[in-house]
Amino acid sequence: MSDLTSRAGAAPRGPAAPAGPAAPAAAASAPGVHPRPLWSLRPESDRASGDAVVSNFLLHWFPAKALKASLDWNYSLWLGTISAALLLLLTLSGMPLLFLYVPSVERAYQSIKDIEYVITFGSWIRSVHRLAAHLMVAVVALHLARVFLTGAYKNGAGRGQRREWNWVIGVAMLLLTLFLSFTGYLLPWDQLAYWAVTVGTNIASSIPFAGAKIRELLLGGRVIEQPTLIRFYVLHIVALPGLLGVLFVYHMWRIRKDGGLARADREALLRERAEVAPARTKTYTLLGIARGTAPTIRASSVEAADVTVNAVPDLTRRAAIVNLGTIALLSILAVFIRSPLEEPANALVTPNPAKAPWYFLWLQEIVTDTTLHIGSFTINGALIGGVILPGLLVTLLTVWPWLDRSPAGAAGVWFGRDRRTQNLVFVLLALGVIALTLVGTFCRGPYWHFYWPWQAWPEIPGRI
Amino acid sequence: MEQRTDSPYPRRDRPVLAIIGVLLVVSTVLFVRSDRMRDFWYYQYTFKQMVAERLGEEKARQVPGGLQQVWVPALRRADRCVTCHQAVAWKGFETADEPYRTHPPEPLRNHPIERFGCTPCHGGQGWAVDTYEAHGQVAHWEEPLLSRELGEAYSLADNTNALMQMNCNVCHRYDRVTKGMEAINHGKALLRDKGCRACHVINGRGGTIGPDLTNVGDKAPEQYDYTRMYGQRTAFAWHVAHFKEPRALISDTVMPNFHLTTKDAQALAMLVLSWRRTPMPADYVPGAPRTDPVTAEEAHAEQEMKTGPGAWFVKTGCFVCHSIGAFGVKSPAQIGPDLSNAVEDVQARFGKTIDDFLANPTGTMAVVLARQIILSPEQKQEAIRNLRAAFAEYQRQKEEGARSGGAPKLQGSH
Repeated sequence: MSDLTSRAGAAPRGPAAPAGPAAPAAAASAPGVHPRPLWSLRPESDRASGDAVVSNFLLHWFPAKALKASLDWNYSLWLGTISAALLLLLTLSGMPLLFLYVPSVERAYQSIKDIEYVITFGSWIRSVHRLAAHLMVAVVALHLARVFLTGAYKNGAGRGQRREWNWVIGVAMLLLTLFLSFTGYLLPWDQLAYWAVTVGTNIASSIPFAGAKIRELLLGGRVIEQPTLIRFYVLHIVALPGLLGVLFVYHMWRIRKDGGLARADREALLRERAEVAPARTKTYTLLGIARGTAPTIRASSVEAADVTVNAVPDLTRRAAIVNLGTIALLSILAVFIRSPLEEPANALVTPNPAKAPWYFLWLQEIVTDTTLHIGSFTINGALIGGVILPGLLVTLLTVWPWLDRSPAGAAGVWFGRDRRTQNLVFVLLALGVIALTLVGTFCRGPYWHFYWPWQAWPEIPGRI
Repeated sequence: MEQRTDSPYPRRDRPVLAIIGVLLVVSTVLFVRSDRMRDFWYYQYTFKQMVAERLGEEKARQVPGGLQQVWVPALRRADRCVTCHQAVAWKGFETADEPYRTHPPEPLRNHPIERFGCTPCHGGQGWAVDTYEAHGQVAHWEEPLLSRELGEAYSLADNTNALMQMNCNVCHRYDRVTKGMEAINHGKALLRDKGCRACHVINGRGGTIGPDLTNVGDKAPEQYDYTRMYGQRTAFAWHVAHFKEPRALISDTVMPNFHLTTKDAQALAMLVLSWRRTPMPADYVPGAPRTDPVTAEEAHAEQEMKTGPGAWFVKTGCFVCHSIGAFGVKSPAQIGPDLSNAVEDVQARFGKTIDDFLANPTGTMAVVLARQIILSPEQKQEAIRNLRAAFAEYQRQKEEGARSGGAPKLQGSH
């Protein structure tokens, strides 16, 4: 038993351990029974390391052993973990805001002013929330790009893999992230919020046949008013985070069911070719799957000592680095980047230019570019730029795993040679979106005229 | 010793984790510091020193510290100006520099701070607690502090501190002349003299050649055309330039040039910019009607009651409960019987003459005459004289009625 006692566990169990007869030792070795009440983050043996995973609620979704290849910084770039860290930060910073924000058209703006000026840490909390929201949109999109460019939605060596469905869930989570950010946009009830939502919902209203109805459903009426605010508020704080949370949990569970990252499949395939026999015996427990063969995890059952490390502490340490690093970085950024709050919402005064949130600006750019004036006729681009094009892109993204016919070997590696064409098309499309977003963000001034970033816009007049 | 898998990671990852730990500490220091560092700590410290110097340590201890605000629920304003401007209500700092100066007492007499706050008159951003934000000299705040400095920036004629009168006129809009609002008063006089209403509707009255100006102060600054204007691009500057030479800004306008002086143009610009829809509660607006409307007939009848033959009953207060139909006095409550025939009615009800009853009243009248309407013996005699006169008139009307087929109408209960 003494060899199972780690440094961390030694102190509280000190007197009991030597005095204990054979019985506790026998009980400890029984399946599912763990000799130590507390898990250790610095295990001294593989067994203690496995126990740390099994007996800790937060770690129980980790494998006991992690592939070194999957831990690489430069394969996954840890973008999924960063998104999760941002989601955690958004939840944590959203909690105090829930107590402070008043979802009423008369008071919302004032409550934000109070958060900004007199609530202890209020301005910082709001900045953390806003920056985390903007960053999450970007990081989730980058995560999707990484998964596409590594072909990680493709099934590999394991049985029962459903990676394509995890991809579909991922796309849904990206859309949810966008919608969450968009619903949060309205809440301050300032000019920025009001007109960004005006632009966004007007684009939705260009959907053929049902457009006007959809806009009315979103707004709870025909103008942006109290019903809109309460709708967006409830969506923002209950409905969408709840749905995102459920999908997030399922997303993570599926990764485990599918045998870890797609890179694990690749390792398995390569090693089978090299005919290295996997280790016969396991010295760690794993959620009761330790006995017998376990087909559900066979994809990641590359267990040779030279390609794996213990999840505790090597995976947990890196997870801590990514999570805490994200928190530290955002916390520092939030001190220096204050959140804007424009004039109170005013339906009679349209800011010029009225811009959608930045992640929709590429669409707004397409909408204006496809709006044609022929003589006195105007062909509104909202249908093409606002509905057909994004609809087509999302549909294509969703079904792409079934259209991608490349071999399994093309998965789990950046820019696989067998997927060269589709990666190229994806990169070009992404660059196009980024370019349009940059143009919309930095190069569009009053009346949507083009201005170089170094060109001054016409001076905005004040009242007095 | 059980098997333990070797790992290459700790050597590289532990220092990274340590750096992130340091970053977390740094970030905590940074955000706590940025939250605590406020201008007002300095001003409050200085003011405390000043109070200690002039009024003694004892008084200095009474100076409150930390965030201060005036919360006016009726206006939904929390004005935190007093966090720095602590001397507002203190006597003895009349000549000190801002923000340590006592507020002039005269305007506060009718506009107590607890009821009005600061920003409804002065402008600025009451929510904020840092100088630039609070004075409204930041983007996205359209109500700057209407200070002397701002007036100097516009080179206001006569009184550079006059800009604040714009905010006075939000409530005093319907006054003809208001004390202390010389610039606006001047503007209002010009408005009448120059006949602006010939072309413009103002407050629902006027011609329709020009635009309705009733709420022109709410027009957004972006909605003016500045293309032919030089200098400051603000709504105020636009109006001043436009009043001086309308055609210089709008080439096809039909508005004539009134050859106004700079002072005139500035006064009018202040006046029109004060015409705003700002929702002030009715009891903040002077002159806003707060009584039930009275028709001309009602007003006439009331005047008749006060001056007619029944005036004594009105003046004494009898009419609150009793009508005196014979004299045309109508009680608003009509709780007691009509006094027109009291001379015979008292005899019928109480079995004594009106003289005896007033000398020794019983029932409700005992209470009323003891507590509410206390009459001297002379006044009681006057009451009896009046009651007899009313009875005489009643009988006259009764006879007249008998001849013409109707009877005088008695009002009231019992």
